[in-house]
Amino acid sequence: MDLTDVLKAIINGLVYGSVYAIIAQGYYITFITTKTMNFGQGDFVMLGSLIGLSTFTAITAAGMGVWIAFIASLLLVIVVVGISGWALEQVAIRPLRSWHSIGWILSTVAVAMIVRNVAMLIWGRDVLMAPSPFGRAILDLGILKIRYHEIFVLVGAAVIMLLLYVFLKKSLFGKALEAVAFNKDAASLMGINPRLMASIAFIIAGTLAGVGGVLVGPMVHPGAFIGLFLGLKAFAVAIIGGIENPRGIFIGGLLLGVSENLFALYSTSMKEAAAFFLILVILAVLPQGLFGKRVKEKF
Amino acid sequence: MTKAKWWIYQIGIPLVLLYAFPWVFNNAHTIHVAQSFLITYIVIVGLNLLVGLSKQLSLGHVGFYAIGAYLSVILTMKVGLNFFVSVIIAALVAALFGAVVALLSLRAKGPYLAMVTIAFGELVGIIANRWVDVTGGPAGVRTSQPSLFGFELGPIEYMWFIGLLAVIITAGATNIFRGRFGRTMTAFGNSEVASEVLGINVRGWKILAFSISAFLAGVGGGLFAFQNQFISSTTFELNLSILFLIAVIIGGSGTKIGPIIGTAIIVGLPQFLHNFVDYHLMIFGGILLVALILLPDGIVGAFTNLSFIKKLSSKKVTTELGILHDDREATIDLPDGINGKLLELENISMHFGGIKAIDDVEIEVWGGIVHGIIGPNGSGKSTTVNVLSGVYMPTGGNLLWKGKNITKYAPHGIAQEGITRTFQNLQLFEDMSVLQNVMVGFHLHFKTGFLKNVLYLGQVSDEERYYAQKAYDLLRIVGLEEKAHEKASDLPYGEQRLVEIARGLALKPSLLILDEPAAGASPKEIEKIMDVIQRLKNAGLSIILVEHHMDIVMNVCDYITVLDFGKKICEGTPETIQNDPRVIEAYLGGEEVNQLVAGTKSIS
Repeated sequence: MDLTDVLKAIINGLVYGSVYAIIAQGYYITFITTKTMNFGQGDFVMLGSLIGLSTFTAITAAGMGVWIAFIASLLLVIVVVGISGWALEQVAIRPLRSWHSIGWILSTVAVAMIVRNVAMLIWGRDVLMAPSPFGRAILDLGILKIRYHEIFVLVGAAVIMLLLYVFLKKSLFGKALEAVAFNKDAASLMGINPRLMASIAFIIAGTLAGVGGVLVGPMVHPGAFIGLFLGLKAFAVAIIGGIENPRGIFIGGLLLGVSENLFALYSTSMKEAAAFFLILVILAVLPQGLFGKRVKEKF
Repeated sequence: MTKAKWWIYQIGIPLVLLYAFPWVFNNAHTIHVAQSFLITYIVIVGLNLLVGLSKQLSLGHVGFYAIGAYLSVILTMKVGLNFFVSVIIAALVAALFGAVVALLSLRAKGPYLAMVTIAFGELVGIIANRWVDVTGGPAGVRTSQPSLFGFELGPIEYMWFIGLLAVIITAGATNIFRGRFGRTMTAFGNSEVASEVLGINVRGWKILAFSISAFLAGVGGGLFAFQNQFISSTTFELNLSILFLIAVIIGGSGTKIGPIIGTAIIVGLPQFLHNFVDYHLMIFGGILLVALILLPDGIVGAFTNLSFIKKLSSKKVTTELGILHDDREATIDLPDGINGKLLELENISMHFGGIKAIDDVEIEVWGGIVHGIIGPNGSGKSTTVNVLSGVYMPTGGNLLWKGKNITKYAPHGIAQEGITRTFQNLQLFEDMSVLQNVMVGFHLHFKTGFLKNVLYLGQVSDEERYYAQKAYDLLRIVGLEEKAHEKASDLPYGEQRLVEIARGLALKPSLLILDEPAAGASPKEIEKIMDVIQRLKNAGLSIILVEHHMDIVMNVCDYITVLDFGKKICEGTPETIQNDPRVIEAYLGGEEVNQLVAGTKSIS
């Protein structure tokens, strides 16, 4: 193993980690507003990558440019998966808002099963190849080679994170969302509709999953059954970073991505185990994740 | 239920049905499905104890299942043990892992707890998949035909054998449900802090609950390995953990019959759906979603919520426990009154970051009196109570109980010393009846151990009856005997406070801390609460009373400490306090405020 391998692993890790982080922000937004999450977030990512793939191929096959195809597929994915997020909130979260913690896990899993089945009927059981707007072009830096798509993902993820951050911290809507997170009843008295906020949170979460899917598609082989793995990784990231801390999630994502790829230098089984091992160690010491805040309960 | 009836319903009828099954459905496929049902059922019974009673989520049960399966195969094939011995040893190892998972996740809650269990399950899955030399990986590993005493078990015999185990396990689980173990698990599932102040070591109990549950999952896994004499790592995936959880929730978590129905659904449904293999997930997901929305408490839960069934069961409880209501006066069992110095707070401080919630406070509490702690909002009363009961560990100073340093004690340790409390924000065990709430209070006085409870020996039922009567008597003291079988959370606010007092009394405390017992109660209820406190005082109980209502404080307390901004500003008898200018200033504002009100001074 030489330095190039390590460098390559780190860059690879940053690329994957930033995608995990984007997907995981979806968990953050819905968790702070409703104390629930979409356990099938990974299947929304899968949906995003497959819709993206089909649209992209269809448009390029019609002879139009790759960038038109890419933007069109991104927009379509945002609309479709965003609507799916809204629908999920309507059927799986809203009807059972009032009960104890286990119901929503299973109801969102149920929706994920349906989504997976639909995807299987449309795209089949096998994995597919997703083309990137950059094709297979590679940037050769001498000591290491990087695919343009990977650079694009890294930059894209940073931009999305920045937009999200500005949106949540600076816009009136972001403040309203935070108000609901802080105290639902008080927010409601101030004229904020928590139900509307919940719907919007799930739409944003869905959109993030979809965009994450479009970005990650060309790096993995998308298929109807890849959702579980991606969703689990993103969930791990959210937990490592601390689910109520968006910056923590971003750092958690990069941390997981990099350590995973460094472990992979030793063996692929270590790569698979890395995320879960990391989680057990971190949570045993810091039960609120790396950057989660501790709240002293009052009695 | 009488003994004979119990034997018939719990053991006799199931065994007869089991024995008859192969004669009615004698084909290999049905027998195989029946085996799968029984194996899964054992796992679900265990998960139901964990999820349904103690409200601890596990999405990693597949890990325990896999440990049971692989280890029993290894022990049989490589060590040469009998299959059943292997299964039991493997299940014990799974239980050990259950304890480890519980330890790792003790402080984790909600999604964090879910993630710890998922991580454990996934790690086991990865090991099964990758450690091919031992597990065979996805290609799988074979094992021998199960045999007992040299007699090989064919499919039908094996089904009978699993069935016998399932019946025994069900009986054990039902016994846990109706005894003090089930009650304690439900209690800390409802409120950890209230369980702690009643002397329940919640950490230890969580570990126990996880271990039992993991043990049963391990048994299930071991039996599964010998069902087809073949296992492969593809079985042990997260999906299976989710499926287990689905069975618990759809059946009705925390109910006794729920696991049977839940298991029947997750095992039976795929049998009907195998013709629609392309739509399998969609149909299953759809049914799950509809069931969750329409039957939030599961199928069994929905039935027991029907009002006439509720009435029936509460009647049954009274007769079963043989509770007497005669004319003799209910008495309170209390330790001998202590007249000396009971509790000393030596320079106690509790700082949260920069906020000094209480700062350098010294209080001495004497036995046999009612000691009031008052102060305006934010003066540190609640923090003081939390420190006294061990819920917070003070950042400075010492807490001496009869001269013994108890500063570092956990709440259950402090409860063992004879101090308990009620809560300003009510912490009742909501899933339980009023009577059961009070019975949890006797936790430290119960003597029977786990095995005796699993077998529900005569001693256990005697003990249950004894304390049910005691609990009922305590309810008579607070005047709630008629509501003994109502759900605690259905009572009005003031009565819920009385339940908390009765529950605290069950501990037979030397010192009872009442944290704002009259907050939110109606004037009539306040009168009742005051009367109860007065009677406890007359019975010689030492009480610390934290309260806002001045009429209660001034009438009931013998001695009062006044806090303001985390500091003790004065103490003394009610008369002294009422006339102390510092108190008046703290409550009404000082001379300056008077002048402001009178208009003789203005804010410049």
